[in-house]
Amino acid sequence: MNEYATVNEQLDWTKATVIAAGLDSGAVSSKAVILLDGKPYASSHIRTSKPKESAFSAINAAFSKTSLTLENIHYLVATGRGRTQVPFARETITEIACGAAGAVHIWGQSVRTVLDAGGESCKVIHCTEKGRATAFLWNDKCAAGIGRYMETFADLVNKEVTEIGDIALQSDEFPKLSDFCAVYAQSEALDLMRSKVPLEQVIAAYHYGMARRIATLVGRLGVKKDFVVIGGLAKNPGIIHRLESILKVSRLAPKPEWDPALTAALGAALFADASHRRQ
Amino acid sequence: MNKERILAGLDAGHVTTKAVIMRERETLGYSTVPTGFDVVAAAQKALDSASDNAGISRAELGGIVATGIFGDMTKVPLNVTQTIPEYVADAQGALFLNENSRSVIDIGGNIHKAIRYDQNGSVLDVTQNDKCADGLGIFYSTMSKALGLSEQEMSELALKSTKNLSVAVQCALSAESDALDLMCQGEDIADVADAISRFIVERVADMCTYMSLTKEVVVAGGLAKSQAVIKHLPSLINQDVSVLNLPEYVGAIGAVISYEEGK
Repeated sequence: MNEYATVNEQLDWTKATVIAAGLDSGAVSSKAVILLDGKPYASSHIRTSKPKESAFSAINAAFSKTSLTLENIHYLVATGRGRTQVPFARETITEIACGAAGAVHIWGQSVRTVLDAGGESCKVIHCTEKGRATAFLWNDKCAAGIGRYMETFADLVNKEVTEIGDIALQSDEFPKLSDFCAVYAQSEALDLMRSKVPLEQVIAAYHYGMARRIATLVGRLGVKKDFVVIGGLAKNPGIIHRLESILKVSRLAPKPEWDPALTAALGAALFADASHRRQ
Repeated sequence: MNKERILAGLDAGHVTTKAVIMRERETLGYSTVPTGFDVVAAAQKALDSASDNAGISRAELGGIVATGIFGDMTKVPLNVTQTIPEYVADAQGALFLNENSRSVIDIGGNIHKAIRYDQNGSVLDVTQNDKCADGLGIFYSTMSKALGLSEQEMSELALKSTKNLSVAVQCALSAESDALDLMCQGEDIADVADAISRFIVERVADMCTYMSLTKEVVVAGGLAKSQAVIKHLPSLINQDVSVLNLPEYVGAIGAVISYEEGK
């Protein structure tokens, strides 16, 4: 996983009226976004080890290129699976609400379906033009962990998790793997290697299996356009491309200025901004 | 057979490839490398570094005996002298490392199995995990990464656990979800680590119900090195166990021993 921190040097936090922050404490990664009067200022993305410690690490990483400290933050909203483990949060809001709000902020009011494909869980969310979630569906247990299993799978084939998505697209002919369970699929992929199936086909097969698994979930709630994908898997072209062809719908392309993995943290920061103004 | 002959034992597994260098019944050196995609390259690397570890050159090697799930794949490219079925190698290796042993539980990266054998190391009975319990070793490594610990640290922490938490009963993927959930609920990392270790042993114990294990029971495979895992084994299978010396090399050593049996 790529850990990083960013800052927009053009903005000066000392001149801001409202400094709002969102922290997304995910099962696999922790993300923070800081807004100055609603404009993106700083962000971070780190691996979660212990959720409480990682919450501090994520917000401190977001501060790292600024002179901000926790005292300067007017309002912080925590979201994500570990949101109750963020001691400095003023409020907690579900990742469903934050994901929808963040997605509409990034891609605009035409968004109606948000697929949040993260490290641990996959969620499909329907939302209004204001970014309010109206319906959602969570993955069943057997479809958990598709994101983090990508890392395990990348390790097994000795590749970087950032490159396997591209390799998966190099091959259109490949054997079919289990599309029910990531553990089965991985086991079957290991067997394919033994039978000397070329590496790119094994990787393609694994991605196709996982894309079908996610497509089943999305199909159950249905896709209304526009469709966007957020969360770490949004950055995996192997999954996204297969998913688009199975669902017969294209997602809106990611915006260069926003890492799709930060969407829920952004949503949390937007809620923080609004909550502070209401006070 | 020439008693001074030096042989390499190669165990090409799903996750790691192990090599040992032996002269007669003495282990001179060993090495483990990740198998990855290129089984032959991994085997070559394991053999080279085991030879270095033994302080011998490849030219001094009198032959290679291979086993493991990918053992056959190394046969032609590496000019392997003989291949040995995994169960046979495990039984022979376990008996060699503990002459009183009659059953071995092998907890590997992707597969766990139990083998019963006689005083000569001939296989009497075998059982292997069902599919939903694949990948316990991979699971253990993944969990230690997810918790930001080394495998050794996770084992040490688990031994300090004071609370009886539990993760899913069947599937490693669900267990991982449950473990991450427990962390997100603020549970202590030591207790989560212990729950992970116990989950693994429960899966192994399930497998062991399909076959009776005769005394003495020994444990092999990479996970045998986790004290936290081993701690739970005797109570869950109702039998005393001991961990073999060099547990992950039982297959590689057994391969060489099987060859020496003159087959």
